[in-house]
Amino acid sequence: MSSPLLALRQLVKNYGGVRALRGVDFDLHAGEVHALLGENGAGKSTLIKIVTGAHAPDGGTISLAGQPVANLTPASARALGIACIYQQPALFPDLTVAENLALRLDATSAHARVDWTARRARTTALLDRIGAAIAPDTEVRALSMPEQQLVEIACALGSGARIVIMDEPTASLTQKEQHLLYAVVRDLRKNGVGVIYISHRLEEIFALADRVTVLRDGQSVGTHAVGDINEAGLIRLMVGREVAQIYPTAESAPGAPVLSLRGVGCTASGVHDVSFDVRAGEIFGLGGLVGAGRTELARILFGLTPADSGQITLAGETLHLRSPQDAVAHGIAYVPEDRRRHGVVLELPIAQNITMAVHRKLFPTTWLRFGAERALALDYIRDLAVKCAGPDAPGGSLSGGNQQKIALARWLATRPKLLILDEPTQGVDIGAKSEIHKIIRRLAQEGLAVILISSDLPEVIGMSDRIGVMAHGTLRAILPGGSDPHTVMAAALGTAA
Amino acid sequence: MSTAAHAPASSNRYRRDWRALLTRHEMLLLYVLIAEWLFFYFAGTSTNRRGIIVGFGTWDRQFDILRHSCEIGLLALALTPVIITAGIDLSVGSLLGLCAILFGKLWHDAGLSIPVAIGLTLGIGALAGALNAILITALRLPPLIVTLGTYSLFRGLAEAITRGSITYTDFPEAFLFIGQERWLGLPTQAWVFLSVALAIGLLVHRTTYGRAFRTIGLAPEGARYAGLPVERRLALVYVLAGLIAAIAAIIYTARLGQAKADAGSGYELFAITAVVLGGTSIFGGKGTIPGTLLGVAAIAVLKNGLACLPVVMRLNAAEEMSGLFTGALLLAALTASVLPKILSNLRSRRHTATQSTSTLSP
Repeated sequence: MSSPLLALRQLVKNYGGVRALRGVDFDLHAGEVHALLGENGAGKSTLIKIVTGAHAPDGGTISLAGQPVANLTPASARALGIACIYQQPALFPDLTVAENLALRLDATSAHARVDWTARRARTTALLDRIGAAIAPDTEVRALSMPEQQLVEIACALGSGARIVIMDEPTASLTQKEQHLLYAVVRDLRKNGVGVIYISHRLEEIFALADRVTVLRDGQSVGTHAVGDINEAGLIRLMVGREVAQIYPTAESAPGAPVLSLRGVGCTASGVHDVSFDVRAGEIFGLGGLVGAGRTELARILFGLTPADSGQITLAGETLHLRSPQDAVAHGIAYVPEDRRRHGVVLELPIAQNITMAVHRKLFPTTWLRFGAERALALDYIRDLAVKCAGPDAPGGSLSGGNQQKIALARWLATRPKLLILDEPTQGVDIGAKSEIHKIIRRLAQEGLAVILISSDLPEVIGMSDRIGVMAHGTLRAILPGGSDPHTVMAAALGTAA
Repeated sequence: MSTAAHAPASSNRYRRDWRALLTRHEMLLLYVLIAEWLFFYFAGTSTNRRGIIVGFGTWDRQFDILRHSCEIGLLALALTPVIITAGIDLSVGSLLGLCAILFGKLWHDAGLSIPVAIGLTLGIGALAGALNAILITALRLPPLIVTLGTYSLFRGLAEAITRGSITYTDFPEAFLFIGQERWLGLPTQAWVFLSVALAIGLLVHRTTYGRAFRTIGLAPEGARYAGLPVERRLALVYVLAGLIAAIAAIIYTARLGQAKADAGSGYELFAITAVVLGGTSIFGGKGTIPGTLLGVAAIAVLKNGLACLPVVMRLNAAEEMSGLFTGALLLAALTASVLPKILSNLRSRRHTATQSTSTLSP
């Protein structure tokens, strides 16, 4: 066999203390659809970012058609025939399809006359090739998401791409659109293009791919021809690890239900028919894939996107949560997923970040009491073992794990009844991670009801007393803590377990 | 060091605070103000009412500067919280004009007593601010556009009410006392200005409201996620701005003894200049009331001082010169505040450029 179109050898990438890729090998041949599979955080995105030149690897080699490539940049990757189609197309919404294609494909100078006829003709030709019925003069804003993806594919074709990367291209497509996309992918393969296909939908991989590589914890755990492996085998590869970490366990049984959801939904955020209870002292894990509706559910419970159906009861009281102020007033706390945008105000001192949600309690006359604020901040810095220069240091001076502790401290200071944690250990190094786990368990032990949203499968299984698995905006299953990872993954993927 | 003696455990922290204090923006501005004053003290002359040449350093002149900076100073105080929330209010100058006219009308045409007319005018100012607030918070329109609209609207109303020709005059002596006389040694209106400065200073620096303004300016989404009442706090700063613009309108009328539709036109831009010169970030989150007061003072001294430079007097170009130098001062202050960051950026860019000069191999 000739040398592969793309060969990655021993690729390594670290983000701070997090080892995103630790020696990955990957081959892609011309005329092949090679699926890439793995849990959230397994390293798929990092791999793509390296191949498209967005991030530089810390180690390993990249070869294109046998030639080693160094210092890949986004521009040089494009010039070398590598194109990537993201889940969210990156087109200019106010320009027409033809203009968008021209921007990507033409390197004309500012003085050259625009040949509109040629532009339109080329756009039509490229769109025809993939069977897309889109007029070249349509503004991209007017196109649906799948149509925009088709335009992206046309761009890739027009640039003469030899390697096309598709990152969950069918996530937002209807069944009919999916089949159109499959046809396009098969057509690309027939024309000798190598396709790296990332998807969570196993049936799609079996329908489309020639080979599949599974990533787990930044390592490749096997490449198989799709004929040689079945769904169960793939799931085993995705999750099949020993639970490496020791999680703190519950020492007492949970108490009475604190939170009850009955048929809760919100049309705007796509959540529907969610029902479960969380007891005092219980950690209720919410597992599922990215986009399953877990954060959307948390936003409903925190009043950010109010529910439009169902009933939310907290400590026996039926709630109508219209705003975060409502939620805070009723004793609900939410540590958000996007720590830097929503969790900690990086420019403000640690003390101000910690007291932000308790202004009313700490400063009942609205006059600031700097001494009391400092004392409260010091209490939490000590209690949660935050490593910092002092309560006056800005939030941005802390590491990810310590920022997360500040975000947690802000909500503990409100003495909540229900604590919702959204990806509390994402981007946090191993040491701080296990510290945060211990804190969460201790809080539950003290009688707090905790909802733990996590995409880290071992974490959600290891930490939770019960696990709710979400898929497509609703709760699919409630499993006991310490469940078999395969069962959880199967529920999250929506395949019958 | 006496501070260290009081708190030996944290002497290091205090020493660092001292150094930070001496180099912070407000201190730099204070140095500029002192330099300006000394320059005009030695270079400036002026003629008094009797035609006798007097210097810049007289008490009369200092009070004159203070008297003339009260209205723009009040608008700058109104704008500081607004800009701290990363907003803007362009309508305060026009609102000053509208309030002045309405005050004149309430007193002259409706026959109300001066105190009642003042009370009603302040209410109208707050209502006009509430209009801005509703458009900005309830409809989520951008503050720049909303207040650009009310900037024209308020001025247009003032001109429509007076049909461009009516000027209210002949206010009673007791009212003119506010704008033209002294009380307890200072120009009367200075007491109003200083009281508002104290109140806004306490609000911004010593209460949870100020905390909320700052947090909203830095991270509006973060503030929402922390359960802060973002809309209500934003509404408050615009209502306050309207109220203070109305106070400025009363003082303006009392100083000039007349209410005209063009009162305060262009003042909003001087006020914004003073606020930004005082170290408030136009992107929000950063800013102090002492800084704003220094910014107002730096502009007022410059304007007044230029007018008594012999060369400027000979050319009869005080207005032009004050515009030119105010602009230069603002740009210099802004440049000085971003220079360290730009220099360090340049240094790091050169560093990465040398790193990635090795090109692609195939």
